[in-house]
Amino acid sequence: MMKQLSQRLLGPVTLVLLALTFWLGMWVTPPDKVQGDLVRLVYVHPAIAWVALYVSFGTATIASALYLWKRTRSMVMDRVAHCAMEVSVVFIILTLITGSIWGRPTWGVWWAWDARLTSTAILGVLAVGYLALRRANDDPTLRARRSAVFAILSAINVPIIHFSVLWWKTLHQGATVFTANRTLLIHGIMAWTLLISFVAFTLLFFWLLRARYRLEESRDRARSAALATSLDMRRREGAI
Amino acid sequence: MTSTETAPDLSPIAPPPSKNRSRRRSLLVLLVLVLAVFALLSQGLLHSLNYFETVNEVFAHRSSVGTEVIRLEGVVEPGSITRTSNGASFTLTGSKGRRVYVDAHGSPPQLFQANIPVVVVGHFVSATSLNFDGTQIMVKHSASYIAAHPSRVKAPNGSSR
Repeated sequence: MMKQLSQRLLGPVTLVLLALTFWLGMWVTPPDKVQGDLVRLVYVHPAIAWVALYVSFGTATIASALYLWKRTRSMVMDRVAHCAMEVSVVFIILTLITGSIWGRPTWGVWWAWDARLTSTAILGVLAVGYLALRRANDDPTLRARRSAVFAILSAINVPIIHFSVLWWKTLHQGATVFTANRTLLIHGIMAWTLLISFVAFTLLFFWLLRARYRLEESRDRARSAALATSLDMRRREGAI
Repeated sequence: MTSTETAPDLSPIAPPPSKNRSRRRSLLVLLVLVLAVFALLSQGLLHSLNYFETVNEVFAHRSSVGTEVIRLEGVVEPGSITRTSNGASFTLTGSKGRRVYVDAHGSPPQLFQANIPVVVVGHFVSATSLNFDGTQIMVKHSASYIAAHPSRVKAPNGSSR
């Protein structure tokens, strides 16, 4: 009952929180002392990057690890990993696009080959590579095993991206929320709006993941039904 | 109609060489990925993981820098900015009071102003000079966001900055 209710509410709550983020970000929050109105991109870009790097890639990695672990191995885990990685690709691309849109007026360039940006682009290539690797393997078990190993190895890049702004000198600014001494470097209502944007985009990920998972389930069912029909026709041929 | 035409062919069909084909395809995907990652890394990180050198670092090994093209980072000194016909000239300072005099071409970014950290692409005009000829200015803004009118908003703990 609760599960059904939360599933039904996921979409509407996501939309309400996204609308709230948009309203607060555009009209309620003040301009920044240095960036002026450009600061409004802080309510979009960090939340999308959070989902791309940690939530979606993290979900794909955890599901892959659970698939490889014998006790929890099931095709459900493989399907979750696959669907989460597909959503991750979308969010990584959005991270790079929104970052570029923000970078052009603030930094003065669309792109810089610094450690943060380059490692994020590499994560995008690895995520697309994961999907290509799945297509390269016809056998479902082999496909699930190989892609799970690949997802876990690719996830090594996530902490590199996170700490790149601390380990090396980058044009990209340091962390706003997850700073080393846990000091929030953002002011009042701006901080609350940032927090709401993180919740909104996280829920959007789970909404998209659920929709993508359902689609994959229907495809699997359709494939099984088609196979059953073919076998049945084959049997009938044999009976003639 | 003959009996051979009506009887379906139920002889076993050889399975496709799925495993070998999958392995070949997987290796091809991995090869393309390695090349793509290497191409991205070669754009900058293979040369140096650090995107720029600070004014202080450059002063520490000024003789080895010579007139080679570098990315130099420092803070724009207040009162030093002069708009020129083809860009801007200003003084770049390091944390130990070191100064580099920059003459940059091209329009500076929107956020370019006094007291802001910038990265300038360019080179020193001679091996011993402190005059830097810049071809591009990039603003390196901080990750702190403070309202333009702080009295209007309060931090979650009630204080205003």
